Amino acid sequence: MSNAYIDQFPAEAKVIRAAFYSSFFALALGGVFGIIQTLHRTGYYRFIDSADYYTVLTAHGVFLVISFTIFFLVGIFTWAITTSLDRGVEDLRFTWGWYGLMAVGITLTGVAILAGFTDATDISASVLFTFYAPLQAHPLFYLGLVLFVVGTWFAGVDWFRSWWAWKAENPDERIPLPAFMVLTTMLMWYIATLGVAAAILLFLLPWSLGLIESVNPLLTRTLFWFFGHPVVYFWLMPAYMMWYVLLPKISGGKLFSDPLARVVFVLFLILSVPTGIHHQYLDPGIAEGFKFIAMTNTMFLLLPSLLTAFTVVASMEHGARQRGGEGYLGWLKALPWRDPVFAGMALAGLMFAAAGFSGMINAGMNINYLVHNTFWVVGHFHLTVGTAVALTFMAVTYWFLPQVTGKQLWSRSVALGQVVLWFVGMTFMSNAMHRGGLLGIPRRTAEPQYDGFEFEAAVGSVAELDAQIALGGVLLTLSLVLFFANVVGTALNGRSDDLPDNSYAGTLSGPEDAPQILDNLKLWTAIAVVLVIFAYTFPLLSIIDRGGLFGPELVELPLSTLDLESISALALAVEQSTIATLETTADTATAVIAGVIP
Amino acid sequence: MNIHAYEKLWLVAAMLLIVGFIATITYGSVALGITMVGDQQDTVEPTELADDDRFDDPRVEQVGENEYEAYVVAQTFSFQPNPIEVPEDSDVTFYVTSRDVIHSFSLVGTNVNTMVIPGEVAEMTVEFDDPAEYGVVCNEYCGPGHHDMEGEVHVVSEDEFDLTELEADGPDEVETGDEISVDVTTENRQLEAIETTITLEIGDETLTEDVTIEGGETLETTFTVDSATLGEGDHDWTVTVDDHTDSGTVTVADDLEDDGGDDDE
Repeated sequence: MSNAYIDQFPAEAKVIRAAFYSSFFALALGGVFGIIQTLHRTGYYRFIDSADYYTVLTAHGVFLVISFTIFFLVGIFTWAITTSLDRGVEDLRFTWGWYGLMAVGITLTGVAILAGFTDATDISASVLFTFYAPLQAHPLFYLGLVLFVVGTWFAGVDWFRSWWAWKAENPDERIPLPAFMVLTTMLMWYIATLGVAAAILLFLLPWSLGLIESVNPLLTRTLFWFFGHPVVYFWLMPAYMMWYVLLPKISGGKLFSDPLARVVFVLFLILSVPTGIHHQYLDPGIAEGFKFIAMTNTMFLLLPSLLTAFTVVASMEHGARQRGGEGYLGWLKALPWRDPVFAGMALAGLMFAAAGFSGMINAGMNINYLVHNTFWVVGHFHLTVGTAVALTFMAVTYWFLPQVTGKQLWSRSVALGQVVLWFVGMTFMSNAMHRGGLLGIPRRTAEPQYDGFEFEAAVGSVAELDAQIALGGVLLTLSLVLFFANVVGTALNGRSDDLPDNSYAGTLSGPEDAPQILDNLKLWTAIAVVLVIFAYTFPLLSIIDRGGLFGPELVELPLSTLDLESISALALAVEQSTIATLETTADTATAVIAGVIP
Repeated sequence: MNIHAYEKLWLVAAMLLIVGFIATITYGSVALGITMVGDQQDTVEPTELADDDRFDDPRVEQVGENEYEAYVVAQTFSFQPNPIEVPEDSDVTFYVTSRDVIHSFSLVGTNVNTMVIPGEVAEMTVEFDDPAEYGVVCNEYCGPGHHDMEGEVHVVSEDEFDLTELEADGPDEVETGDEISVDVTTENRQLEAIETTITLEIGDETLTEDVTIEGGETLETTFTVDSATLGEGDHDWTVTVDDHTDSGTVTVADDLEDDGGDDDE
């Protein structure tokens, strides 16, 4: 008999499985759209019309950065809360309820996006992940997003309930580190999502329904970025949590410092939101001073990431020395590089360091002009969310799957090949994207090939960059295929009694070294709110004063059914099977919910 | 709180790095005068640009010796004017707005890059040195034809550059023996006077007139040709001032049934 998570918390393991499978389904869809657009953009293989490229791009963005990441993180957050507080959720029906709400929400949004491929309906939402007005999506798109986000709010409530119940029983104990990370991340998320909730509920949804005439495009855009930057930390924090609580253990050692891990998460809670305007350095209508404040906050956000780099590497070194590693750098050889969980996370961390450097360029208010909205930015976030987060999630899946299914991983060698392939593929792709951006090649375009001019490469050529991107895209797709082979192979395995215990890393310097005040979540939340008020009140008032709450009269651009002649049978097939599967998922979720309600 | 010595060192180094970044950027803004796109300009009504003094006629204007202003309108899926022509060694302030959705105005491979938001006017001043041609792209997704949205900025030599506008007007038909008059309107929108030659070519005839047009002035000239020397038939004519041309066709006939036809070309 093993002591895996599924043995301790069989009911919660079921919820986590459902969240993981929803996440992987979104990953599969996002991956398919990813390779379609990679080959289209680079000109290697085009079978869709360029006008439909933007539907593909919307689907790629929303499925990967909303569904894949967030479904996965609600899974590991549930694991973190139940494991570290050592108690099941307070009310399983409530837990399935928020999962169901998220599933229904994203299904609506997904259907609205995918309907853009067919002329059988007027529904369409090819507005990309940022849905900037006056581009207008079908109301279903906005409604689905709202339901999804409300689902995550309830998920947070669930985890807070667990903590409150635990605290009542353990009044003098420190919050266990994983739970602390979940709670601070969720507090940040509550503040951040107020922006997108306001943008959608007050403006975009009523506008798409025809209830209001117009919106202020700068206002809805600013509210989007109020949410749009912190959302990247919502993806990143679970990856950080894995680096703090799982990676040291897999390395064979302990976490270097519990107090500094807490400091890092507190800093993210405080600084994540009042930075969103750094996405708007080039926006007319926002004064330079507001941009400067956002930049300063952004630069200080480097601090928790730099601290994380130290702590993670120090923890790895500690692990390596426990395993007999010696020397200044010789210890690196003693790390368990053949373990896919370790290799994946370590490679993801390495890529994140590179991403940090391109991020510093992005953050520089005036250097940003050179790279804003170029391919450089795409290279940057394929390193951050596309590797630091996605590769970490895939790597830890190899640890979590046995825990929540009770089955042995199908193949560790395939898993190792998968994480390495991802690293190699992304190296090609993101490097070429960064370089392309410096030539001025824009992001978000079906054909960066123009009539009047050509992009001039100082080193290499645009054709060479395209080749690297296409090669990278193919390797990443292969990597995904290997990942899904493992997920499916594991699901088909029989129940195993020989699984590792469910546990996380101990600490060298424990919570007893952390000042009590670090656990004062009310204080940190209050500071975070004050900083947000400071950073956003005047910009928002100024935007409303200039352009009006509901903006000037606009020429809206509803992206209803566009040029449809060239849609291939494949796109239709993908779309129909997707809708069918999404519906099945929803049905399954509903059935499961019905099943657990006595 | 127990912090390892190395970690303290790292913390200090990290803080120095951050403060250093902020300092260099502040230096760039304050000492080097790199300004950001901000809220300098008043808002406009995106649906009423046709009635807006600045954007009713997208154009380049001269405002100082080497100073120009370019009023640019971005819309799905083009820029106006296109190409934008400015002289070498000039300071050009771009004012860019949108007629419909959010676009960008971005000179490829440079840091001339701004979002274009309906209702707002982006302002940025650029120093151009040597003659060059720059591609302009919209790098913000603006709809299904986004990838077709492009333009050009031509920085031309002092000699080639002008802000001259030429318009010529002649009759459609005249009776043999009557005079053909072509009215030429030449506007010099630069601040300095230009000396140039206005040329009319019609049939085998070439008429010229050397003129001086003061800055901001408009000159009206009329060329007159005897239709008899051209003979019966259709005759193409072309008026040329520097690189600018305007042209038309006049029909010379022995007897015209009606007397009209001299009001437009």
